[in-house]
Amino acid sequence: MHQSKRKGKLALMARSNIEKEIEAYILDNKEMHYRLAYSYVKNKEDALDIVQESICKSISSMESLKELTYIKTWFYKIIVNTSLDFLRKRKRLIIGDEDFLATYDGGVVDHYEDIDLQKSLEDLPDNYRSIIILRYFEDLKIKEIAEILDENINTIKARLYKALEKLRIKMND
Amino acid sequence: MKDNKVEKLRKEYMDVSIPEELDFVVKKALKEGKRDFKKKQYNKKLRAITTSAAAVTVIFTVAINTSQVFANTLSRVPVVSSIVKVLTINEHIINEDRYNADIKTPAIEGLENQDLQNSLNEKYIEENEKLYDAFIADMEALKENGGGNLGIDSGYEIKTDTDRILSIGRYVVNTAGSSSTTLKYDTIDKEKEVLITLPSLFKGDSYIEIISRNIKQQMKEAMEADEHIHYWIEEEIEELNFHKIDEDQNFYINNEYQLVISFDKYDVAPGYMGTVEFVIPTEILQDILVSNGYIRQ
Repeated sequence: MHQSKRKGKLALMARSNIEKEIEAYILDNKEMHYRLAYSYVKNKEDALDIVQESICKSISSMESLKELTYIKTWFYKIIVNTSLDFLRKRKRLIIGDEDFLATYDGGVVDHYEDIDLQKSLEDLPDNYRSIIILRYFEDLKIKEIAEILDENINTIKARLYKALEKLRIKMND
Repeated sequence: MKDNKVEKLRKEYMDVSIPEELDFVVKKALKEGKRDFKKKQYNKKLRAITTSAAAVTVIFTVAINTSQVFANTLSRVPVVSSIVKVLTINEHIINEDRYNADIKTPAIEGLENQDLQNSLNEKYIEENEKLYDAFIADMEALKENGGGNLGIDSGYEIKTDTDRILSIGRYVVNTAGSSSTTLKYDTIDKEKEVLITLPSLFKGDSYIEIISRNIKQQMKEAMEADEHIHYWIEEEIEELNFHKIDEDQNFYINNEYQLVISFDKYDVAPGYMGTVEFVIPTEILQDILVSNGYIRQ
């Protein structure tokens, strides 16, 4: 009886520590998370919505985080999935070129070549684009990306290679 | 060549400007997340306690429901006009440039059961005062930190108003860069003047399983029929997945005498789906209904 009570207490303490760690991590990395969300949805309001939703989800499912060393991949996974869910829904709302225009409303009018490059990145299928973003912009390892996207390492490698190919081919058009 | 392009893209990526509301949104989400988590834990405990309370309610309702003849007789008696009504007794309005609040508090009138009427009305007032206070606190905090946008819209709608049944739905929409919506229903038997609870409608607790199974089926079908519809039933993050309804899941009874189960935004689907509801076909409930007094085909 005493034993189990103590166990319960220890578990509670461990959880409140995890909760604190998660909270600190979320506060420290909020800008990175915002950028990641933004890279998918391309506007402020939706990116904020995704950050907010991801935080709520992460806290309410914090029992799914087994070890604190995985906190980054664990949280990225939530953001990526939340963003993809959002895009799936939005697809039906997009009419014509509005999305393209909205994407470049942010004051990048000066350098057109970057817009082409941006556009070719936008044109990649979501699962290819995610890999480019996570590998080159967020500096994650292939292994971590595999965890986030729930794919095996070889699939990620193959897609990364193809994604780079596609970016190059597009640019030569 | 490749590196150069990637570097350019990376720069664009890193150059995205960080909105000033981010800090506030993050902190608020943390607070909400923790509150939801605690609520989840607390509900687990509470459920054990309320089961006995629910059992008591069942006894009350059974008395009305068990007699099919009685129920039929009642429904045939022409009711002159329903004297039970709902009106707005209080409205808080804030209308500033970046801060908007509209909180309407309903009150029920005309019930002879004063205890029921008072307890509902007090609950409505109390909950809305809390909403209003929380909004003011958030607004002050935001103003101190240089501002942002904040909005709240709370009110009610009469979902069903028949001779027998009154279902009131109260909604709260919070906006702070993002938005969340919650909906709560109260369903009253106007003749018997009792609050109808979900467990009181059914024999035993098999309804949880039966209704949940039907909802999952409906979710699957809707997702297959329309690729833009998404419910959390086959998620990688197991914690998100919908498994079963709460014993006292939010519900109301519609004008067609059908049971409607309701979920808040983010309960069973991503935020874009908003609040969602499912009409449960009466035929799958028929065998476990205490009577057809409220729900029928």
